[in-house]
Amino acid sequence: MNSKSVILTSMLVQMKQTFSRNMFKFTLFIGPILHTIILGEMYRNSEQDSFIAYAVLGAGLLNLWTCIAFSSAGDINRERYSNTLSIIFSTPADFRLILLGKILGNTVLALGSFLLTVIFATVFYRNPIFVNNWPLLIAAFLLTVLAFIIISIFVAYLLTLSRKTEIYMNCLDIPFALICGFVFPIDNLPQFIRFISYLFPPTWAVRLLRMAVVETSYGFWENFIPLIITMVVFSILTAWLYRIIFKQTKILGTLEMA
Amino acid sequence: MPAIEVKDLKRDYIVKEGSFVRKKKSTIQAVKGISFTVEKGEIFGLLGQNGAGKTTTIKMLITMLAPTSGVCKVLGFDTFGQEKMIRNRINFVFGGELGVYRRLSARDNLKYFANLYKIPLSIRDKRINELLDLVELSDKADLRTETYSKGMIQRVQIARGLLNNPEVLFLDEPTIGLDPLGAEMLRKTIIDINSRGTTILLTTHNMYEADKLCGRIAIIKEGEFLALDSPMAIKAKAAGETALVIEISENPIGLKDKIAALDGVSAVTLDTIEDFFRLRISCTTNGDLQERIISLVTPRSIKSLKNEEITLEDAYIKLVRGEEK
Ligand SMILES: Nc1ncnc2c1ncn2[C@@H]1O[C@H](COP(=O)(O)OP(=O)(O)O)[C@@H](O)[C@H]1O
Ligand SMILES: [Mg+2]
Repeated sequence: MNSKSVILTSMLVQMKQTFSRNMFKFTLFIGPILHTIILGEMYRNSEQDSFIAYAVLGAGLLNLWTCIAFSSAGDINRERYSNTLSIIFSTPADFRLILLGKILGNTVLALGSFLLTVIFATVFYRNPIFVNNWPLLIAAFLLTVLAFIIISIFVAYLLTLSRKTEIYMNCLDIPFALICGFVFPIDNLPQFIRFISYLFPPTWAVRLLRMAVVETSYGFWENFIPLIITMVVFSILTAWLYRIIFKQTKILGTLEMA
Repeated sequence: MPAIEVKDLKRDYIVKEGSFVRKKKSTIQAVKGISFTVEKGEIFGLLGQNGAGKTTTIKMLITMLAPTSGVCKVLGFDTFGQEKMIRNRINFVFGGELGVYRRLSARDNLKYFANLYKIPLSIRDKRINELLDLVELSDKADLRTETYSKGMIQRVQIARGLLNNPEVLFLDEPTIGLDPLGAEMLRKTIIDINSRGTTILLTTHNMYEADKLCGRIAIIKEGEFLALDSPMAIKAKAAGETALVIEISENPIGLKDKIAALDGVSAVTLDTIEDFFRLRISCTTNGDLQERIISLVTPRSIKSLKNEEITLEDAYIKLVRGEEK
């Protein structure tokens, strides 16, 4: 009961704060439009299939990713600057729940942004969106969001250990989107980078998502199983990382500005 | 069991200096082995200049920072390793304008922290209203704190620090940024919550405050204690010390420095009051020192002359200066 309340209030506080930030409004409303136009032009002359799978889905995913992971990383730094990070860390509440609440708050906002992308793409390019397999689409979408959340928690934990959050945050956004194949198939990437792609759950989740909208050369299980495995591995890594940050942040004093 | 138990406590900060190319690590010893205990029900003061190690000590006590070595216990539990046993029984307030969510109102800030402190919903809103009343923010409670003045933000933090009725409350320069009325209100509050059984550890620059509030005081300088005693006893340490107050109608250039340079003078302050000047000289009562001081002043310019009882500030200055000599 109390854990739920910590998650829920952290989520609401997060949304309230985030929503009053102009930069986030930009990410939330302008981002979908920009991404859709850029990717839309890139895929304009390709087949209808690729247009939906990479332009529309790509823009949506890019935005979903930015709103969840990028913002969650930024929030760590904002809380550090306002000196609230060390305070919430020192309350009786479990920091893991607080952080989960924050990321869920960003997720809700991100979902709104995703929806906006799809609507905009449909209207602007007058392209009816057709879906091969609705149940798969919904399941794959939920798994994608879950994969993003897992990665976001992992990254946010890492960032509590360093004051150079902003640098890492900027390095993370677009490269990750490319590596995980949000905007073009990872088959276009060099082989050695593809091995990196395989390590991250979003790569597999996005492939499943794409399966639901277009014909693909790959099957369900060959993506679903790696997805589950990578998610479990990341969850274990994240749990282990928390044990480290719980001690190290206090030893290194990285929760506050020096 | 004491409320706070500290033994040979040390804390180093490792700082990286220099550019990307030549990074150098150096160690700052912020706290260099202090020991003290605070019994339940006490108000204990940490006095010291900027950088003395007060905040670092508090952060170790409130489970925010790990000690480098030594014992650091609150309510019988280690602050590093047994955080869970401590956190819901203590609270803390830092001076300054940080530490609140600026885009939320005072009430929303308090509601959020009440949840983090696991305060039952049934009593939460009533508590928050009482605290808002106490810190006199009720009428502005629903405005975003980014519109608040420094003093108001400080009061939000004080309310936050009282949310969970802490058994031990840590206050780091709590009156900084408050106007005189606000500071007086806070001092009353501190006495009030202490009388209801809360143990308090506070740091301050304000000697008057420390003298008035604290049962015992530790004077800390560069991470070490210079003295640990009751304000009375610390003042007695400066025994043989007096404060000579001279009011003069003119202030020759260099007078203050000349007096300060005399052997046995520990501090001189000079205030301008309307059309005259007020010199306050902390010095020993030895020999003819006072006569030598007076001889530096033009006799006809003296309006009044008297000896005052020394204050904690005089004693503090003597202790801190004495170390330097
Ligand atoms: N995060 C930090 N990193 C490096 N040095 C620090 C840090 N915090 C404090 N210090 C240093 O430790 C010393 C004690 O600081 P502090 O405890 O804040 O003193 P006070 O609160 O008495 O002013 C100072 O020299 C300060 O510069
Ligand atoms: Mg300080």
